[in-house]
Amino acid sequence: MHKLLFGVLMAVVWWMLHALQWEEERAMGLLYEVKRAVNRAAHAAAQQADRDKLEIGIPSIDPGLARAAAHLYLQANLRLDRDFRPLPGSPLRQPPAVLVFEVINEEHEFPYTYYNPEYNYRVTLKRPGVVMVVRAEYPRVFNVMDPVVWHIKGAAEQVHV
Amino acid sequence: MKQLLVFVLFAPLFCWLAFSPVYKHVLLIRQALLQQEADYLLEIGASGAYGYIDRVMVAESRLRLARYGFRPELLEYDVGSTNGMPADQPSEPLPRGVGLRLEIRYPYERLLDIDRLIGLDVPGPEGRIAASGMKMSEYVP
Repeated sequence: MHKLLFGVLMAVVWWMLHALQWEEERAMGLLYEVKRAVNRAAHAAAQQADRDKLEIGIPSIDPGLARAAAHLYLQANLRLDRDFRPLPGSPLRQPPAVLVFEVINEEHEFPYTYYNPEYNYRVTLKRPGVVMVVRAEYPRVFNVMDPVVWHIKGAAEQVHV
Repeated sequence: MKQLLVFVLFAPLFCWLAFSPVYKHVLLIRQALLQQEADYLLEIGASGAYGYIDRVMVAESRLRLARYGFRPELLEYDVGSTNGMPADQPSEPLPRGVGLRLEIRYPYERLLDIDRLIGLDVPGPEGRIAASGMKMSEYVP
């Protein structure tokens, strides 16, 4: 009897270890997926040139268009609806939140080093650009590991004007 | 005798415990490889030099994935754009501001069949693992 008990116990421990590893691998995968979504959102936002200023030779980003583009690309890449709620097939279960969205425009002198002490994010931009921080939570399948919450940072510059 | 009986009773469970993590791991790696390939194609395709993902690029991508053990003929590529323009024509690249969409799908190839041993439902033959993304084109004519 005690051998059987030992066997069952070992099976449980064995499976918990695998569940933990599987979960950690999935979490890493998701982290990169959200990071790419943030990068693409920032990239799309940074391409929203302000055409009126471009005509007089000032490369600049239209903040309104930039925010709209960033939201659109974040939603498309993470499969969210307009209010950031996950749609079927989304890798997330909790809606992510855009914590920081800043457009660095021609009022700064380039190269400009942006620093955000709250999220400890530092990035140097050579051209007008966009900085984003997004909060996302990993949806756990097994409760063998602690909740995982990320603050994912991304930045992009205007490609060329 | 009793031990033998216990073993026979629990044999499917033992098999599942021993082998299913390996299959899960293969699935994870395949998913990651598909995602990596999708990211690469989007990065190149949306760059200022291209603005499209054409058949040549898809064929090269199939070869790259085949090196990791994917069967190239089973890979499905779905290329599209946000404004309805064809995204696979080198003659008319997507201009800046238009999004380039890509999805790569691949069948499970019965990797989850082992879960039947413990009575879980498995995806049918039409089930697919997929990797996708959307990136804004940088192409300026």
